[in-house]
Amino acid sequence: MISSQISTRIRELAKRYPQKESVLLPALMLAQKENKNVLSKQDIGNVADIIGVTHSKAYGVATFYTMYNVKDMTGTYHIQVDTNIPATLMGAKKILAHLERKLGIKAGQTTPDGLFTLSEVECLASCGTCPVIQVNDVYYENLTIEKTDALIDSLRKGVMPDRKTEYFWGTTCNVLLKNRGLENSTSIGVYRKNGGYKALEKARTMSPEQIALAVKDSGIKGRGGAGFPAGLKWSFLPKNHGKPVYLICNADEGEPGTYKDRQIMEYDPHLLIEGIAISASALGCKLAFIYIRGEFDWIADILDKAIDEAKAGGQLKDMDIIVHRGAGAYVCGEETALIESIEGKRGQPRIKPPFPAVQGLYGCPTIVNNVETLASVPFIIEKGADEFRKIDFKIFGISGNVNKPGCYEYPIGTSFKDLIAAAGGVKGKLKAAIVGGLSVAILKADELEDLVMDYESCARKGTALGSGGIIVINDEWSIPELALRSMEFYAHESCGKCTPCKEGSRITVKILEKILKGQGTSADLANVERLVGTIKGLTLCPVGEAFSTPIRAMVEKFRPEFEKLLTN
Amino acid sequence: MQISMNGTSIGAKPGQTIFQAARDNGIFIPTLCYHDKVGAAGKCRVCVVEIEGMNGLQTSCSVEVREGMRIQTRTEKVINAQKLVVDLLLSTGTHDCIACDQNGKCELQNAAYYLGLERGSLNYGVPEKDMDESSEFVFVDRNKCISCGRCVAACNGTVVNEVLDFKYRGNKVDIAFDDDLPMGKSSCVQCGECSQICPVGAITDRNSRGKARHWEVEKVYSVCPYCGVGCKLELHVDRKANKIIRVNGVEGAPTNDGMLCVKGRYGYDFVGHEERLRNPLIKNPDGTFRDASWDEAIDLVSRKFFEIKSKHGADSIMGMCSAKATNEENYTFQKLFRQVIGTNNIDHCARL
Repeated sequence: MISSQISTRIRELAKRYPQKESVLLPALMLAQKENKNVLSKQDIGNVADIIGVTHSKAYGVATFYTMYNVKDMTGTYHIQVDTNIPATLMGAKKILAHLERKLGIKAGQTTPDGLFTLSEVECLASCGTCPVIQVNDVYYENLTIEKTDALIDSLRKGVMPDRKTEYFWGTTCNVLLKNRGLENSTSIGVYRKNGGYKALEKARTMSPEQIALAVKDSGIKGRGGAGFPAGLKWSFLPKNHGKPVYLICNADEGEPGTYKDRQIMEYDPHLLIEGIAISASALGCKLAFIYIRGEFDWIADILDKAIDEAKAGGQLKDMDIIVHRGAGAYVCGEETALIESIEGKRGQPRIKPPFPAVQGLYGCPTIVNNVETLASVPFIIEKGADEFRKIDFKIFGISGNVNKPGCYEYPIGTSFKDLIAAAGGVKGKLKAAIVGGLSVAILKADELEDLVMDYESCARKGTALGSGGIIVINDEWSIPELALRSMEFYAHESCGKCTPCKEGSRITVKILEKILKGQGTSADLANVERLVGTIKGLTLCPVGEAFSTPIRAMVEKFRPEFEKLLTN
Repeated sequence: MQISMNGTSIGAKPGQTIFQAARDNGIFIPTLCYHDKVGAAGKCRVCVVEIEGMNGLQTSCSVEVREGMRIQTRTEKVINAQKLVVDLLLSTGTHDCIACDQNGKCELQNAAYYLGLERGSLNYGVPEKDMDESSEFVFVDRNKCISCGRCVAACNGTVVNEVLDFKYRGNKVDIAFDDDLPMGKSSCVQCGECSQICPVGAITDRNSRGKARHWEVEKVYSVCPYCGVGCKLELHVDRKANKIIRVNGVEGAPTNDGMLCVKGRYGYDFVGHEERLRNPLIKNPDGTFRDASWDEAIDLVSRKFFEIKSKHGADSIMGMCSAKATNEENYTFQKLFRQVIGTNNIDHCARL
């Protein structure tokens, strides 16, 4: 059932978007929340009718994104345990096993009284505060067995406890995490008092070309993972095309090991808004979007509130920003999949070219930049490109087997050792690390000795700086096990559009499972190598490379561990 | 313009893709998801080639030719990639050709033949999927589906019936009718466009199954007899049995570009039906019919018309034209009524 209030709300929301179909994702979520966290076929059809899209399209969208519960029932409390690599390294599997025992159900099941549904989910971008459980919309972080028991006991009494999160963090640059420790850091008053929106004022005295030039001169590389120079990306916008230009802030932070954008949005939303406002004026954009992963519901609320404050404060004079919530899909971090998702479609990447700068959202020129990239723009404008090049600040998210996992803002070019020292040092004996988010090649302890965290040094080591998400692995862990868990993630997140990723990811999981069960042969391991060796560069979007690169590196660098499991 | 393919200079037209230029020049590049009508999808990744000056493999369905472009379609890297894609498909679906209606016309079979792959080598379990026999004319076997997306693109973009879409993601992706109904219970109008455009045996014409294989039928071009649009048909005729086995629309035909409606594609059983009229019948006074020759029948009708006209006037007669007749036939028919009978009482059942 969809009430008339929700139906009206959907119609109202649809008016905010240039095309009504864009409201499909938020509309489905509204329908689900109104119906005990379940999305029935009938409600999907009703939503489709309200918006004016076909039932098949709405059903295709509802079954694509994991946050929609297209089934008969979900428990009152949906307990979602993140068991991705950083979480596994930090004890999530123990929490999951404990919950299975405590609730008497397996992951994927609901208790007979309908109170709890237990699910094993992929990275929730809480890598510094794992183990983490998401109960319905709320994150509970830094969990221990005791805290988990207390959480369940409280839920049994019908009380959702307040979420309290304690992070380790630090900054030597004082830019992106400058306001991180302040009280009421999300308010415009605190932000302004601390020098906020000065860069926007300055930008208003500059021409769009001057702003774009400053960003280009700064040489800032996209902080999302690919490291493409942001200024160069902006320069691909065609001139005199007569169409609207859209700026999209990519806040679909989903790369395992990465939880840096969240620090900015959750604690300093105005920094991002200021960056978007400046960038939009350089690009001639009147409507910008923040595409935020759906799990960050409360952060999206923080952003919405901050945008309202900025509008009231006259900071967004001739433009608007829409916070668009995703609904659970790693691939939507890829810019064309993200664009499809804003258009209300299944989040599947497009063929490139045309690139978004030429033909992006609604067929119009579109620039997609990461949160951290856009949040760096105010500094570049206020202090100048030269000053930026001197510091080249970046947030490194450190997770896994370290004593103080957290986000640390350091200059690019800081040594791996210094960053690990900032994070309290390795817990146990260092075995390996994945330094740029899960999708880059693993480095062994000896390769990490002299590693400097910049783009070039990482490339020389055969890996990538990526998103700056550093996952530290100690010698208690088996690499084949981590390879399987990594591969399960990519197979789960494959959008299913192109054959090598769709089928290749599943087959690779199957083979690794066989090997881990002790039933694999050298021919099976050779098949893994054939798959990851050939899939790299063969897929429609970077996801194929995202799994073939790390798995290949794990097999190559830790071959004896794999071979030990083989039957021949 | 001139481009080089495998070291040979060939002609290509501006705006063409590499795949189209290769096809025009008789160079085979396997494809599974590309179709002229729905364009490049970039999904199957089997049409990859190497292009001098470009990094890695490129999909020939999506890259346009440029003057002097140098392309290789059979390097080791290309063949390895193509083999992996086809191997993955053979290993993860149930691609039994033996009794498949698509045998001989299957694009996956063509690709496997070109690459010399008889069967998949990545044998780690094949997920079992539904067969949907719920609709009257179309048979859906999801075990053979390769998710190329041609049917979805055609249903939404070509015939715009908007019934088909994909559901779920990753290797769970499947086609769905409306909100995942059996085809026969969905809003599908059975136009059969999906069946015609399917590169494999996943969607086939139900009533043709097992009747004759593609190479056993004679292909006869004809025009659809149902309505005035005049869709171009390709009749698949079993000459020995003198039966129509299957009807396809002719791709590229100016009237219908391969599309047909349910009647044109599937309503051909009347042609060989035993109750079909084969010669004129004249009613006896006792209500039964007797065979007559065309001359006798036409004489009778003409005599009766003139009797009615002389007794009751020309306006006591009216003529109903048929949507099944051509424009020219309908024109002649109204001429007959206006000039010979002398009435303007002409109407037309512009329906079927």
